[in-house]
Amino acid sequence: MVAGWPMGLFDKLAAWLGLKKEVNVLCLGLDNSGKTTIINRLKPSNAQTQDIVPTIGFSIEKFKTSSLSFTVFDMSGQGRYRNLWEHYYKEGQAIIFVIDSADKLRMVVAKEELDTLLNHPDIKHRRIPILFFANKMDVRDALSSVKVSQLLSLENIKDKPWHICATDALKGDGLQEGVDWLQDQIKTMRT
Amino acid sequence: MYLQVSAMSSGDSSGDGGKWLDAHYDPMAGLYTFSSCVDLAELSGDGESRLLVGDLGSGSAGMKLKVYRGTSLTSESTLLDLPSGVVAFFMDLHEPRIPAVAVASGPCIYVYKNLRPYFKFTLPSLQVNTLEQDVWQQVREGQIDPLTLKEMLESIRRKADVPLSMRSLRFLSLDPDEMDDYVQLHKQQPIRRQTVITCISTLKKSTADDDGVSCLVIGTESCDVYVLDPEAFIILSKMSLPAAPSFMDVTGQFDVEFRITVACRNGNIYILRRDSDKPKYCIELASHPVGLVRVGKNVVVGCTDESLQGFTQKGKRLWRTVLAAPITTMAAMDLPTRGFQAVLLGLANCEVQLYRDKNLLSTIKTPDVVTSICFGRYGREDGTLIMTTRAGGLIVKILKRTAVFDDRDGAPGPPQAQSIRLNVPKKTKLYVDQTLRVSGESGAAMHRAFQMDLSRLRLAAAKAYVKALESSLTPVSSSLSEPLKMNAVVQGLGPTFKLTLNVQNTAACRPVMNLAVSFLYDESLYRVKNPFLRIPLLVPGLIYPIQTFVECTSDKGIADIIKVFVLHEGRSSPLLTAHINMPVSEGLTLN
Ligand SMILES: Nc1nc2c(ncn2[C@@H]2O[C@H](COP(=O)(O)OP(=O)(O)O)[C@@H](O)[C@H]2O)c(=O)[nH]1
Ligand SMILES: [Mg+2]
Repeated sequence: MVAGWPMGLFDKLAAWLGLKKEVNVLCLGLDNSGKTTIINRLKPSNAQTQDIVPTIGFSIEKFKTSSLSFTVFDMSGQGRYRNLWEHYYKEGQAIIFVIDSADKLRMVVAKEELDTLLNHPDIKHRRIPILFFANKMDVRDALSSVKVSQLLSLENIKDKPWHICATDALKGDGLQEGVDWLQDQIKTMRT
Repeated sequence: MYLQVSAMSSGDSSGDGGKWLDAHYDPMAGLYTFSSCVDLAELSGDGESRLLVGDLGSGSAGMKLKVYRGTSLTSESTLLDLPSGVVAFFMDLHEPRIPAVAVASGPCIYVYKNLRPYFKFTLPSLQVNTLEQDVWQQVREGQIDPLTLKEMLESIRRKADVPLSMRSLRFLSLDPDEMDDYVQLHKQQPIRRQTVITCISTLKKSTADDDGVSCLVIGTESCDVYVLDPEAFIILSKMSLPAAPSFMDVTGQFDVEFRITVACRNGNIYILRRDSDKPKYCIELASHPVGLVRVGKNVVVGCTDESLQGFTQKGKRLWRTVLAAPITTMAAMDLPTRGFQAVLLGLANCEVQLYRDKNLLSTIKTPDVVTSICFGRYGREDGTLIMTTRAGGLIVKILKRTAVFDDRDGAPGPPQAQSIRLNVPKKTKLYVDQTLRVSGESGAAMHRAFQMDLSRLRLAAAKAYVKALESSLTPVSSSLSEPLKMNAVVQGLGPTFKLTLNVQNTAACRPVMNLAVSFLYDESLYRVKNPFLRIPLLVPGLIYPIQTFVECTSDKGIADIIKVFVLHEGRSSPLLTAHINMPVSEGLTLN
């Protein structure tokens, strides 16, 4: 739909870091929050989507750049597939959590999913950086990133570095800021 | 509004055991409605479901059809009269699949497409009383004055089998000084008698698909049920009830087979089916129904006596349970992705309770009495519970993905295990092979082999039985004249044991006489105190304990069998034989 930038943001990041071993990034959020749109923005135009597994109620997208691997999935549907996606937590080294700032009704659901994620044994005691994208900021009536972080009680996350930015994935606004932050985090994590 | 969200989501304020997320609460929403006027539908084809509310306003003004998206009101249309029901339904096969909305109000159904007025259906007028018509004719001709009119109408009302029209009824309720103007205003118009719609529902036309075309089904004040064609809005079917319907549940397909369950104002529930224009079954309730919900094939009815009752689709009562407070409203909770079905009850004590059959699964405390409940897909969330309150508030809760409802059955009844489906394994290859073998050519041979083995088994059993009878080896006597039963008990550690023989005469009324007991044993091991005992007369049915002492004379730690015979005087073969396996003597021989 939206073509990636000539050189994907994450490619630049990887090149700059000179990473050898790939970093696993989990991109999570409720369905329709904008994950696929964001990831398409970030990935280099030549990146191959490794596999899309469209199962009823559960789908995972994976793709790799030269040094980063992305695992994207919807935290939606009713329960049955939960342990399927939790299976990926262990190998994740950074998290991008996408929120639809215009979906006020499901803000509680996003919070519930975030809390469950943060309390998962494979996440709880690790200092994984979490980047929050308060997406769809262009929609009239969308909540501000401050409001979103309030509703998600992000101030309670004490043992993990986190950052939130308002984004418009359709235009690409706000993504750069987030990626810059994540870049710094991965760098400190590596040194 | 946002602050309410955050305040509510911070804690489990409602005491429902953390099963629901508080998504939204607006106490000032100003929604005055009932469950029959609330529905959920994907009205924009964007995968997001909207909330439709027929708002009753103040009851005389401010009636509206309101549409909510998420937490905000997105559209309002004024209604001319009080809504009695709101349903979304597919009226055609056009793409994209966007349902129309039907609002039942007075004698009309207003159909909206893309939220714009599209069609108005009016119920056919009813027959007008001819006497009433004559009287108004005389008024038109100036032959009678309003007061005479009043008298005549009153007498018609008292004895007529065809009720008066709305115009006459309203006239009768006027003060004398208002009558003249009223008559002047109306006398030239023809009299019409209209009925009003009391309830509305939908019925799939010919397919069970979720987006299949549906007929509208309406119940009227004139005790009729109509099924309307979704495209032409002609009456496809008309059925009659003994009383005015107040709640209705419809299931099935019009072209195939359907079932309309109607709770009526006479306190009865009638079940209509495709093949008849009269009710097929009737359920007579002890008190008036206040709500009706279908769960699977059964119907759950709430009544004014604070009871909840379950019935089969043929009207047989399955259960009844008593509630904590009067019911204000009822709705079904259907979660197909989890195969979960239950009933939501709004209660007058500011609680919403969830029942599966007669079992209370969960209770939600609400800030006010709930007057309407709707459960389904709202926005993008399948398990959304929408409630409006008496003061006009709107509450939205979302079922947690992790929520589980366990209904441990408190009331006596069949155990839970009885209703659990056994996980019967699939047919294995072995099974299939064997089945093929049986149904194939070797079936006859297998049958013969089986019959042969069965005959052999029967023969062996019969031989053993005859042998046992011949040697009277059984603890139950087979003699017809002396039917006896005996068991033996050995007590003690040794070397002395107490041996008790419980002998019973199992005859219906005949006593048994002249019996004796003797023992056969290895005399080098045991000494029996009374090796021959006479048994007293045995009254039928009583158990006679016959006791003696057995001493083990060996200290080698060995045990043997003692044989007991029940004998009849003058007969050589015993009636009964018992072999007693003596325990090893563990006590020390003291002498
Ligand atoms: N207005 C607006 N729409 C967006 C934005 N990001 C994504 N969308 C739209 O939201 C819908 C869902 O996006 P998608 O990336 O498929 O969400 P996913 O389910 O999380 O992968 C699509 O129709 C996108 O075009 C945004 O920032 N603003
Ligand atoms: Mg996606």
